[in-house]
Amino acid sequence: MTDTNLTYKKSKRRQDIVFPIVNAILLIILMFVTLYPVLNTVAISFNDGTDALRGGIGLWPRVWSFKSYESLLSDPATYQAAWISVSRTVITTILNLVLTSMLAFTLSRKEYVLRHFLTTMMVLTMYVNAGLIPNYLLISKTLNLSKTYWVYIIPTMFSCFNMIVLRTYISGLPEALVESARIDGAGDFRIFWQIIFPLCKPVLATVALFVAVGSWNQWFDTHLYNAGKPYLHTLQYLLKMKLATTQASANAAKSTADAMTSTTQMTPITIRCAITVVSAVPILIVYPFLQRYFVTGMVLGSVKG
Amino acid sequence: MKKLLSVLLMLALVLALVPAAIAEEEPITVSVFVGNPREQPTPDNKIFKKIEDELGIKFEFEFLAGDLDETLAIKIAGEDYADLMDGGNSADTLINAGALINLMDYISEEKTPNIWTHIQPYLGRLLYDDGSLYIIPNFGRNYNAQIQNYCNGPAFWIQKQVLEWAGYPQVKTLNEYFDLIERFIAENPTNEDGNPYTGFEILCDDWRSFCLRNPVQHLVGRPNDGDVLVDINDNYRVEAFVIQPYAKPYYAKLNEEFHKGIINKDTFVQNYDQYIAKLSSGTVLGMFDQYWDFQSATDALVTAGMDKYTYIGLPLVYDPEYVDGKEIEEHYLNGAVINVNRGYGISVNCPYPERMVQLFETLLSDEWQTILEWGIEGEDYYVEDGRFLRTDEQKKNSQSQPWKNANTAYALMDGLPKKQGTRDDGNAWEPGNQPELYFDLMSDYDKDFLKAYGYKVPADFFNPPIELAPYGEAWQIDYVNEPDVSIAETDFVTTQMKYLPEIIMCDPAEIDGKWDEFVQAVEDIPISTFIDYMQEQVLKLVEKANGN
Amino acid sequence: MSQMVQAKPKKRGGIGEFFSKLWSQKQLMLMSVPIAIYVFIFSYAPMWGWITAFMKYNPKNKNLFDNPWVGWDNFKWLFNRQEWLGVLRNTLAMSLINLVFGTVSAILLAVLLNEVVTKAFKRTVQTVTYLPHFLSLVIVVSMAQNIFASDGAVNQLLLSLHIIKEPVFWLGEGKYFWWLVGAINVWKEVGWNSIIYISTMTSIDPSLYEAASIDGAGRFQKILHVTLPGIKSTFVVLLIMNIGHLLEAGFEIQYLMGQNLVIDWSQTIDVFVMKYGISKMQYSVGVAAGMFKSVVSILLLFLANFIAKKLDEDTLI
Repeated sequence: MTDTNLTYKKSKRRQDIVFPIVNAILLIILMFVTLYPVLNTVAISFNDGTDALRGGIGLWPRVWSFKSYESLLSDPATYQAAWISVSRTVITTILNLVLTSMLAFTLSRKEYVLRHFLTTMMVLTMYVNAGLIPNYLLISKTLNLSKTYWVYIIPTMFSCFNMIVLRTYISGLPEALVESARIDGAGDFRIFWQIIFPLCKPVLATVALFVAVGSWNQWFDTHLYNAGKPYLHTLQYLLKMKLATTQASANAAKSTADAMTSTTQMTPITIRCAITVVSAVPILIVYPFLQRYFVTGMVLGSVKG
Repeated sequence: MKKLLSVLLMLALVLALVPAAIAEEEPITVSVFVGNPREQPTPDNKIFKKIEDELGIKFEFEFLAGDLDETLAIKIAGEDYADLMDGGNSADTLINAGALINLMDYISEEKTPNIWTHIQPYLGRLLYDDGSLYIIPNFGRNYNAQIQNYCNGPAFWIQKQVLEWAGYPQVKTLNEYFDLIERFIAENPTNEDGNPYTGFEILCDDWRSFCLRNPVQHLVGRPNDGDVLVDINDNYRVEAFVIQPYAKPYYAKLNEEFHKGIINKDTFVQNYDQYIAKLSSGTVLGMFDQYWDFQSATDALVTAGMDKYTYIGLPLVYDPEYVDGKEIEEHYLNGAVINVNRGYGISVNCPYPERMVQLFETLLSDEWQTILEWGIEGEDYYVEDGRFLRTDEQKKNSQSQPWKNANTAYALMDGLPKKQGTRDDGNAWEPGNQPELYFDLMSDYDKDFLKAYGYKVPADFFNPPIELAPYGEAWQIDYVNEPDVSIAETDFVTTQMKYLPEIIMCDPAEIDGKWDEFVQAVEDIPISTFIDYMQEQVLKLVEKANGN
Repeated sequence: MSQMVQAKPKKRGGIGEFFSKLWSQKQLMLMSVPIAIYVFIFSYAPMWGWITAFMKYNPKNKNLFDNPWVGWDNFKWLFNRQEWLGVLRNTLAMSLINLVFGTVSAILLAVLLNEVVTKAFKRTVQTVTYLPHFLSLVIVVSMAQNIFASDGAVNQLLLSLHIIKEPVFWLGEGKYFWWLVGAINVWKEVGWNSIIYISTMTSIDPSLYEAASIDGAGRFQKILHVTLPGIKSTFVVLLIMNIGHLLEAGFEIQYLMGQNLVIDWSQTIDVFVMKYGISKMQYSVGVAAGMFKSVVSILLLFLANFIAKKLDEDTLI
């Protein structure tokens, strides 16, 4: 008995020393493997475009050039578009958090009579797709949302995937929380808003990240509904257009005779990398604020008793 | 002098007429859809401001960011047409959906003399059977002499240094070409930096796989008809040239070169970016391609001062041994082709079709054409001894995208009918074709290189353009509204891209078997769906051309 | 206890009982029904489009019923294409590979991160690993093509380790294609996919770890008996959801990497539809393929959900 206990303890000690080291090494290797291509992208974005065509750039630009960023950021339209993008991202994220968690809460209530019906209905939306044209006709013709700012908000207020993530999390919370609140006479809405919603912070931070990234990276809705209205263009749409234009001019229309004179300093390669950086930076800035919630964790023990 | 006077007189007349015509018309905003990606012109764009001031027309552009066919399908479903619609390469879809109005209702010799002069020689090709016209072509209408400084289209390309090394020989046939590459590589396996040379690249990325599929038609002496070969001596018989017996020697030759190490198997899996990177590094000696397709690599080489690694196009043909001892005459350069059904149409939603046609008419005047092509005299170009020239500053401007967004109307211009070729005063209509500007930009290396051959421009390597066949060029024939034909064509391309690399890489002993398998696969598509349709269309076009 | 109270009225049944219960749940309904209506409008109303799968639809016909009915022809066209079975096989294979390796790698990373004590290190690793999610696939695929080229890093490494004698033609031989796609997906998304597990792990009661420590459990025991059970419901729910998505193997990566030499292994349903759908004026074929995918997905989903229920696990529905 004492013998086994001893070996158990010994092995445990070995685990406690060896494991963190192995773990750290593994994670550092992983970091290197993921970081290299990212830094490579950044390096290329700061390289001269024509030179970058020759490839072989590592972690440092070979011929420095800010041309790609200049062409992206010198256009005054960029700032108007950035504003549209930021505002739509913020509004969409807030609306999503509220609506999604609200529905998730109701669908986590086992006693709710519509629970099964509504859950099935929501889940199926992830698997059925009516196709582009009917969706377009709905939003553009029936609801008349095209050429308006609302087309960025109204169709994207809710996401089923995030709702399920939230619901799973809420189901994992101690049932006693709801029970005791109910005994105190709280209604469902108050229970949701005052007890459940604050407890969901880690997963709300995750959902906020998912929604914000999705909304921020969206260009297709601008393309479909607002392409003809420059003041409603989003940043991603402008960037997408920049890239497409650079590509198209690299392909050079066979009849435009400018061929010999078109030595530009931008190429699709550098532009693409610069666009990646420009669109990722705002998210990287916001990220630590969200990360705090889902990396640090919370103390639930106190309410569990 | 007399000429100049008449030009001035015309100008004065136009100038006098234009404001009078405009005065009575309301300022309008016209929505424009362009089926290509472009950057928005700046709000205070110089040329658009001029158009607004003088013609009372403002433009609101929508450019294409996504997929063209998808976008058009949506616009058709929602009938969401802009006033002017440029459907890019799928404009026929718009015509077929009834999205565009018949322009012939507004065009006549009296009402629109400029447009009439512009399209009159091509009416046979342009008009539908019922006499309607939906789009005035944006390119391919040459006035006076067509200017050809270089070959912008297909050719077998070779690094200039290889020809220099060999003492500037004339390379005319496929065997001579590969023989030269082999000899060069045997003596110079690597470049100065020690990187090994690749003898021949074959780009197989998506639609750019024409580099793999197209060469044979040129080797037998025809210009670019796309996927088919049209025998003009045999009643315009259309055939899929790539499965004919005369195509086999080319791929057998490539197989031979593959096993000699001249072709590398990575060429079949690399994407376009990698291909350009490889060309730009100066280690690729040759390839079959179209000039515009690897323009960016040329730019990179020139910028890096590696002029001797840039390419010159060679119009190769089969050696007589491959074609029953026949001597083949090359015809890579073709007569100018009118760009049928490409450009702006006026949509059924447009409230002022007449005024739009008048806009085309006005902008097609010599005065406006000069402004649209060259810009404003003194600002964008200057005139010296009657020649249109540009200062270094002006040249630099014309290449800067932000500058173009603010100072040119290129966003609109691409889809407009325009004059190409030579002006009556001898200048080129398009700045890019002006010989002085072309020579200015040519490097000393290139000048010396051409001098060694006794040539003036790279186009001198080629025979002069042959007369355009009455059907135009067969790749222009559209089948966007014929799903079966279009599926057969896609399958045809896919089959070639799958089998041809295998044939090139296989054991030489297996070529015959692989080739038969390939031919069988193409016939099983069945390819006749595609060929029969093309045949029908070619004959129809020939008949139309002869009828007029 | 609470559930027993809830269960009672159900047994008694009765319409009056039901309505009184409905009334007592009016707040829940207020919080959910408007969202349900919203979802109905945006997700279900456009489904009239499915009937075009049985037509030869052309958007130029303004009246939907001007389009000729063709019965099952569009489906037949799809299923009769000689490459269809291969396309289906590729789609399933690649999404299975993706599902298995994607999930395992994400959980593994989350667990490893959870074991890190130093907060700064934990955050750094987490931030760095999720970065590739933001690289566009065009960039990623281009890099992968360089790494796996004949003279690329992978071949050079394997050659120098004498594992292979000749460079492997990774990109040109079909048998490697699925695994390359899997590897790229894992690399790109592992950090991103782990976020959801990391945030779930925060809900694990820290006292459970303390209790385990007191019982003398080592690292591995704690992972096995505390961490993994803590994320089990999230895992099961995501698994069911992803099984429903087995016909979604992606589009872009196959489109970018799938040179025609490997087309028999690379073409997925989405690539196929892109090639032969709208671009060939075959709108209805695209809809039919979408409908086929939806129906199969829903069947798979219910099957997975049913199995989970039988195993007494958490369920999606």
